[in-house]
Amino acid sequence: MMVDQSRQAAAPAQPRGFSRRTSPVAATLEALRQEGRPAFIGYFPYGFPDEPTSLEAMRVMVRNGVDIVEIGLPYSDPVMDGPVIQAAAKCAIDQGVTVGGVFDAVRQVQEDGAKALVMSYWNLIMHYGVAEFAEGMADAGGAGLVTPDLIVDESGEWIEQSDRYGLDRIYLVSPDSADDRLELTSRAARGFVYATSRMGVTGERTSMSGSARELVARVRRAGAPYVCVGIGVSTAQQASQVGAYADGVIVGSALVHCLLDDQGRPRKDRKRALDDLASVCSDLRWGISQVKR
Amino acid sequence: MTVLDELVAGAVEDARARVREIPLERLKKEVRQLKRRPLDAALLLKESAGIPVIAEIKRASPSKGFLADIKNPAALAREYANGGASAISVLTEGRRFLGSLDDLRQVREAVGIPVLNKNFIVSDYQVWESRANGADMILLIVAALDDTRLRHLLVLAESLGLTALVETHDRKEIDRAIAAGARVIGINARNLKDLSVDVDQYARLSSNLPEDVVKVAESGVFGTVELEQYAKAGADAVLIGEGLVTSQDQEGTVRMLVQAGHRFKASQAMPLSTHDGPYFGPYGGRYVPEALVGALNELERVYGQAKSDPDFQKELGRLNHVYVGRPSALTPAPRFAELISGRVGGQVRVFLKREDLNHTGAHKINNALGQGLLVKRMGKNRVIAETGAGQHGVATATVCALLGFKCRIYMGQIDARRQALNVARMRMLGAEVVEVTTGTRILKDAINEALRDWVTNVETTHYLLGTVAGPHPFPTIVRDFQKIIGEEASDQLSAYGIDHPDGVVACVGGGSNAIGIMNTFLDDPRVSLYAYEAGGDGPKSGKHAIRLTPGTGQIGVFQGTRSYLLEDDQGQTLDTYSISAGLDYASVGPEHAWLHDLGRVRYDYATDQEAMQAFSDLCRTEGIIPALESSHALAGATKAAADLLGRGVENPVILINISGRGDKDVATAGRWFGYLSEEEASALEAQGGQDKGGQTKEEDR
Repeated sequence: MMVDQSRQAAAPAQPRGFSRRTSPVAATLEALRQEGRPAFIGYFPYGFPDEPTSLEAMRVMVRNGVDIVEIGLPYSDPVMDGPVIQAAAKCAIDQGVTVGGVFDAVRQVQEDGAKALVMSYWNLIMHYGVAEFAEGMADAGGAGLVTPDLIVDESGEWIEQSDRYGLDRIYLVSPDSADDRLELTSRAARGFVYATSRMGVTGERTSMSGSARELVARVRRAGAPYVCVGIGVSTAQQASQVGAYADGVIVGSALVHCLLDDQGRPRKDRKRALDDLASVCSDLRWGISQVKR
Repeated sequence: MTVLDELVAGAVEDARARVREIPLERLKKEVRQLKRRPLDAALLLKESAGIPVIAEIKRASPSKGFLADIKNPAALAREYANGGASAISVLTEGRRFLGSLDDLRQVREAVGIPVLNKNFIVSDYQVWESRANGADMILLIVAALDDTRLRHLLVLAESLGLTALVETHDRKEIDRAIAAGARVIGINARNLKDLSVDVDQYARLSSNLPEDVVKVAESGVFGTVELEQYAKAGADAVLIGEGLVTSQDQEGTVRMLVQAGHRFKASQAMPLSTHDGPYFGPYGGRYVPEALVGALNELERVYGQAKSDPDFQKELGRLNHVYVGRPSALTPAPRFAELISGRVGGQVRVFLKREDLNHTGAHKINNALGQGLLVKRMGKNRVIAETGAGQHGVATATVCALLGFKCRIYMGQIDARRQALNVARMRMLGAEVVEVTTGTRILKDAINEALRDWVTNVETTHYLLGTVAGPHPFPTIVRDFQKIIGEEASDQLSAYGIDHPDGVVACVGGGSNAIGIMNTFLDDPRVSLYAYEAGGDGPKSGKHAIRLTPGTGQIGVFQGTRSYLLEDDQGQTLDTYSISAGLDYASVGPEHAWLHDLGRVRYDYATDQEAMQAFSDLCRTEGIIPALESSHALAGATKAAADLLGRGVENPVILINISGRGDKDVATAGRWFGYLSEEEASALEAQGGQDKGGQTKEEDR
């Protein structure tokens, strides 16, 4: 058997081969599958509306049923995000958020008992240094990265570094993805494959498209052991519907929304905003726990 | 006793034990009866289209200890071969590497590619038994052999049809290997202190090797990163062991390495003028959501068919002629040339390529029309595009009217407000103009919004990108539709008895007009190429769009491609500024980034001040009002002239691309030079929507 190297975060320049630690997120998804329910995956942007509040929000999310936190790194040009997350990102950047700071959030989420993924557009990771980011992530005990604008074909460096530190690689696929793309992505992914429930960018939708169920089935056929669904999920009912066929339900804008006012500005009353966040989370978690498999 | 001495001694002792079982004479007899001839590994390890991978089977090593439990070497070898490995290396040393000749035999049975017996070979017997057990290659370690023995074993190996991989660590050993007649030389460039790979050391060691020697990089390859580093340093092939046996998907890892090798070779392919994406050196690629990959693949496929379809080319040529008005004129500019000559103190001749005379007033129509015809071929009916303030938006709206597509143009709110005339032009042409109110409300935000639209409506919609940036295949396609500029100019110059220009000058924002006029000349070393970025208030002011001058842009990925990028210390995109909107972009096309690194094009900048001076110069000497974008090229022409004269070119001929006309810029210029009073300028704006703050947004996008 291989020596477990998951604790080798502060590795030398050429650590021995690749880590063989089990995928942290897959382990969570498997455990929940045994319990008979899908995972509740909540997205929240680091540094929004300011750093302490974002950490508090993530703590609220974990306390109210979120199993895996997808911590967003705010980026100036987020092409996969709709207006709510764009507004949040802009706010966080204006606050002077730094990429390296996200590891504090990762550490806290892991300490609170959930798994931490970071969601980032690729330029931020490239600029920080792929190897340095992977090392920082492993040091903080994080699970891995969600990469909305990095396709497998451009992932050479990330695959190498994530293998070295045993980190998860979460890629997005869409209903328009051809079968060969689904296979390529499923093979390269580690943790789960992120199926976007319909074509388009992030945001709340009043109805869920039927294409998500079909996409999940196609991704499973392409070889992915775990498939989670996001983009457009905002209500407990939707969460429960999606949870019936997905391994995890990803909610983003609906959570971020709790901290924004009607004009898209951060709400002044942070306590009430976080209370709202808590109730939206428990509501969604209730929806997810209603899933009949 | 060194580790190597100990290993050699062990291997010799083990071999001696085997001699007792099978004496050398019997071994020779066995070999003579073998039907199989070894493969010529040296030939297979030098590939023009890739970096061959030698995949190693090893359970342990003295430096790293235990690595992997390999119960079935044959199965692992098959995985390597399926992944595309060019050869398999089998560690047969038993004491510290836990291998055996039995492993070698099993692997030999399993695969049809060359197999290397990797052991501490110092005796004839070991060479014969390599052959007897089915090896095509053997390892000879220079450090373990004196010159006589090394030469002897090489000759013996060759006589048995075996290829020797001769392992070296330093220049002295390399010289000994060459002197002994080695054809395949392995260089182990590991830094023995921290075991890291020292690629610079590898590059130093591997330089000056004879052309026909195969250079193998032997250590520290874990993935595509190191493979690319070694390939850049000149390695022909790589050997990978530990990185493979400890990986979770060996076949997939080998496949990724092999693909990276192909990708690397393709990214460096010459000649420059026909070099297609996805990669231009280390730049380009596709940094996009997976949701767009299908559409990009379709575009690439349909364009590939169209390119070789005479009917498509005929229709494009016809419309270029009867609709756009091509060929655009080539105008001698003697009075402007005189002005420059006076400034630089030497005679120059200047010709202007008049893209400003095209329908819609700029080169943008060349690309819009070409992509419009592709949209028809793809059977899509909706087109979206970004525009800074007008020229690409107007060109796209024009083509959509011509070909009957629904058209939506994204434009930053700030740009739309100050370019009301162009908004009106686009709407008149039937396009829907969407004001983008997110982000900084300028060009890059319009592109983001167009990308979001495309992700959502990709099945019915084509994104008609306006420059040689963005994800593959856009940089290649837009280049191909724009290269007509230089091709025409080259023909038109010959009418003046000029075989080639000495200098070609263009402005560069995204870079489509520059690529367009330069492409034809890229492989002609007699032609110097000069491109000018928007200097704004200068590189130190923080108010500019200079990406390629040291201390400005950094390598990053932005809006689908990898290139130079203006970004802050966290990787967030910086705001840009230029008096000319068409050059006011945070990144630059990937081919330009590569041409910059190769030194093929000299990139410099012209400030607002210099560009406005050149704008005025051309108006007054030639009666041509250029776009502010093109004015940066005109400003650069003086610098280019000085450079050419300085390098001893006599009476240089300089070709300048006038990428667009300057009607749109007259209010800005009027205010800059004080030709118009505030009231007159405001009245002009009221009629035509010109910019208030001296920052027009037009042309290049």
